[in-house]
Amino acid sequence: MSAASVESAPLLSVRNLKVHLRVGEAIVRAVDGIDLSIEQGESIGIVGESGSGKSTLARAILKLLPNVELAACEGEVNFRGLDLAGISDPALRDLRRHHGFAMIFQDPLGYLNPTKRVGAQVAEAIGGKSFGSIGDRVQQLLAEAGLPSPAQIARRFPHELSGGMRQRVMISIALASEPALLFADEPTTALDATLQLQVLETLRRLHRDRQMAMAIISHDLGVVAELCNRVYVMRDGKVLESGDTVEVFESPKHPYAAQLIELSTRHRRHAAPVGSKAVP
Amino acid sequence: MSGAAAIEPAAAEERPLARAWRSVRTTAAKIARTRHGAAGCVILLTLALVAAFAPLIAPYAPLQAAQASLAPPSLGNLFGTDSTGRDIFSLVVYGTRTSLAIGLGAAVGALVLGGAVGMLAGYFRGAVESVLMRVVELFQTLPVIVLVLFTVALFGSSFWLLLVAVILAIWPAEARLVYGQYIRLRGMAFVAAAKVADLSTVHIMLREILPSAIQPVIVQVALDASVAILIEAGLGFLGLSDPNMVSWGQILHVAQDYMTVAWWTSLFPGAAICIAVVGLNLFADGLNEVVDPRMRGRLAGLQP
Amino acid sequence: MLRFILFRLLHAIPLLIAVIFVVLLMLQLIPGDPVQAMVGDFPVSPEFRAAITKQYHLDASFPVRVYSYFVNLLHGDFGYSYQFQRPVLDLIVETAPRTILLTSVGFLIAIPVGVLIGIISGTTRNKRVDHFWTSLALVAYGIPIFWLGQLLVLVLAVHLGWFPTQGMGPLVSHAHGFAWLRERAHYLALPALAFAVHEGTRFARIMRASVADTLGQGYIITARAKGLTRWAIIRKHVLRNSCLPLISVAGYVLGSALGGAVLLETVFTWPGLGLLLVQAVRMRDNMTVVGIAIFAALAVIVINLVVDLLYAAIDPRIRGSS
Ligand SMILES: Nc1ncnc2c1ncn2[C@@H]1O[C@H](COP(=O)(O)OP(=O)(O)OP(=O)(O)O)[C@@H](O)[C@H]1O
Ligand SMILES: [Mg+2]
Repeated sequence: MSAASVESAPLLSVRNLKVHLRVGEAIVRAVDGIDLSIEQGESIGIVGESGSGKSTLARAILKLLPNVELAACEGEVNFRGLDLAGISDPALRDLRRHHGFAMIFQDPLGYLNPTKRVGAQVAEAIGGKSFGSIGDRVQQLLAEAGLPSPAQIARRFPHELSGGMRQRVMISIALASEPALLFADEPTTALDATLQLQVLETLRRLHRDRQMAMAIISHDLGVVAELCNRVYVMRDGKVLESGDTVEVFESPKHPYAAQLIELSTRHRRHAAPVGSKAVP
Repeated sequence: MSGAAAIEPAAAEERPLARAWRSVRTTAAKIARTRHGAAGCVILLTLALVAAFAPLIAPYAPLQAAQASLAPPSLGNLFGTDSTGRDIFSLVVYGTRTSLAIGLGAAVGALVLGGAVGMLAGYFRGAVESVLMRVVELFQTLPVIVLVLFTVALFGSSFWLLLVAVILAIWPAEARLVYGQYIRLRGMAFVAAAKVADLSTVHIMLREILPSAIQPVIVQVALDASVAILIEAGLGFLGLSDPNMVSWGQILHVAQDYMTVAWWTSLFPGAAICIAVVGLNLFADGLNEVVDPRMRGRLAGLQP
Repeated sequence: MLRFILFRLLHAIPLLIAVIFVVLLMLQLIPGDPVQAMVGDFPVSPEFRAAITKQYHLDASFPVRVYSYFVNLLHGDFGYSYQFQRPVLDLIVETAPRTILLTSVGFLIAIPVGVLIGIISGTTRNKRVDHFWTSLALVAYGIPIFWLGQLLVLVLAVHLGWFPTQGMGPLVSHAHGFAWLRERAHYLALPALAFAVHEGTRFARIMRASVADTLGQGYIITARAKGLTRWAIIRKHVLRNSCLPLISVAGYVLGSALGGAVLLETVFTWPGLGLLLVQAVRMRDNMTVVGIAIFAALAVIVINLVVDLLYAAIDPRIRGSS
């Protein structure tokens, strides 16, 4: 997975994306002119402090913004040569259903329907046939996301699962459409250290086996260092610095990036080690 | 967080009443800026003015029957006259007083009774909570109108008895709301801080928690007033309201038998009830918009 | 689930007893002669007075009278109406089904229509459509139910002559089978429609607010991310989850349906429980008033029980925590 060839267009390219939210009388520039690209099968990281606009960026790209009033939402988003800004609803749905893109959300409890069994929620993402005929596929997906005894889990409700299990259910839902691109928003933040490792391992395996492009959002630089070839450092809705993960982390050009990395590594030395800093 | 203001020294200096009043004033200003709230304020103010200046607005005394009976609307009798020759416009104008008095009186009564019960139950929890909330449940077991009819049947239908009956019927909703607010707020940091500072329980309940709980409570007060007006109208329509007072429901009671030949006897008082109730609900809607920050800046609808 | 039901039942029985107790206490508080308070404005002879005093222990202390009333209730004796010259229970058993028919037909129209309007206005991204429905619901909500009934009579019965203005059926009916049903429906239509419009707008308001709330939840975004169609999202996620607040409101409405029935039945002279209550109040027939109040309380308690069970059936989180 080296640098992309010059001729072929990237899987996803974002140019000058702006998302300004209207909150009461104020306007929050959550994403303020961002350029970004992801190659086929590549994995990138997006890091930045809380509130820097990482989640909003991901949602704006995938057209999954919540019901908030937008003061501005502009810029070019190009996925596999398709212009996502002007895409029709059926075409967008098709991308979400089949081999397009998917997203794992930050808070798995809120993003699972509390009144439906987990299996049914995964089955919906597969779509098409009735639950009975796709039951096997549901279990396969749950197992693929690393859940033990998927047949039992499928019959449970979200509140009957642990945080790590819910996160894996979210992963199964995201994988159901066999996406070419997966956005993972803080996939491990809610988990303890051992679970973090397991979920990361799962993501790495999927990335490798399926040749799936990934964008991992995290404020944990260790996670990004482990999984991502390239990294974007964000602050206040802007990209401060981007490039090869090792380069950025070892010799950051921007003082804020340097500070962020310094803080993170210092914290890391005191906390339980999650993994080596080596790039896979 | 609004509770944070409670531990600021400047705010604590202020008298609780003054603080509550300030909160009410600023909230009122915000309500007037919402679409629904502004419309509600206009309607309520108009009704209040009509009630206050009823003798100046109404051309006839309320019970004066000097006209031809069942005359259709004309310049002399804007809304026509009823079967006993009374001017319906004057009746409707004077009826505003009764309806607003019942609405306001019952809502305030329910606020005091329900507020006190909800406050105690929500703050103390435990045995106090279970006893008080069982009482609330008890009063919610009879449908509102049935409870009022029951009281009127047993004790008669003077204005004051009616007011008490309506309060007894609607206070549980207020109690439940205040109860919920106190349960939510009592666990918050500023209450813990007040407890650590060794402030008295009464002080904490009234001065610390109440200001933060007041806004949804006002929404409920507006809705209570509209319910009270509807109950009074219903009782008047059944001919069971205070016979010595003019009320919209009562005009409709008299109109009942003549409705088919004289539509005006029924249309105008009915519309008056509708306007008053809608006005209060619009006001409550506006207030809700101000109170619930989640709704602010939220788009309606389901995106693709 | 069985434990949940038992738990709620154990909760409901003391409540019912307390309601009866309070109702009797209020009866006790009536100023004046207890015999007159019991039979209403009705001239009584001394022998009759003595008989009543003995039968209802009117000279005994309050606890004894409460006890005897409870014993009578357990035997299905709700007292005797001296105005109607019939046992109160007979009156209730005769009129209650008519009220239940009226309110349940109204209810069956109101629920789907209210839910539909609530969902349309809650999920549409067209502000005009939303404004139209919310304004309509607001105005309809302000219309007193009896006035709405009168307006319907005025327009649909008097002017257009489509429906009868009042009553439950012709004095002498020769219709059978399907024709009989049609005849009944003809008389039922207006009062049921008034009930449905009145309560339907309430449901629509609740449903819209609830739908707006549900649409702000994360799992709706998950559903969008799955590529579900708009209709599938509404059907599979919005509908079910938005119904929770509706159920409690619907239960409340059904429980207080007797309140609306009192007014509607007066407008349409529909001879149900509501009309009976109004007549009893007018004639100061306290035995009947008390009987109906207790019956209403019983109905509310049963309905609340059903609401709790429905809640538990829809929301698995409640089921677990009982
Ligand atoms: N639904 C919303 N309503 C109002 N403001 C919002 C909303 N979502 C995001 N914002 C604002 O947009 C900005 C960016 O938020 P965003 O959630 O994208 O940050 P983030 O980098 O993902 O933070 P975190 O690491 O905490 O998840 C913040 O200032 C936030 O306050
Ligand atoms: Mg985020």
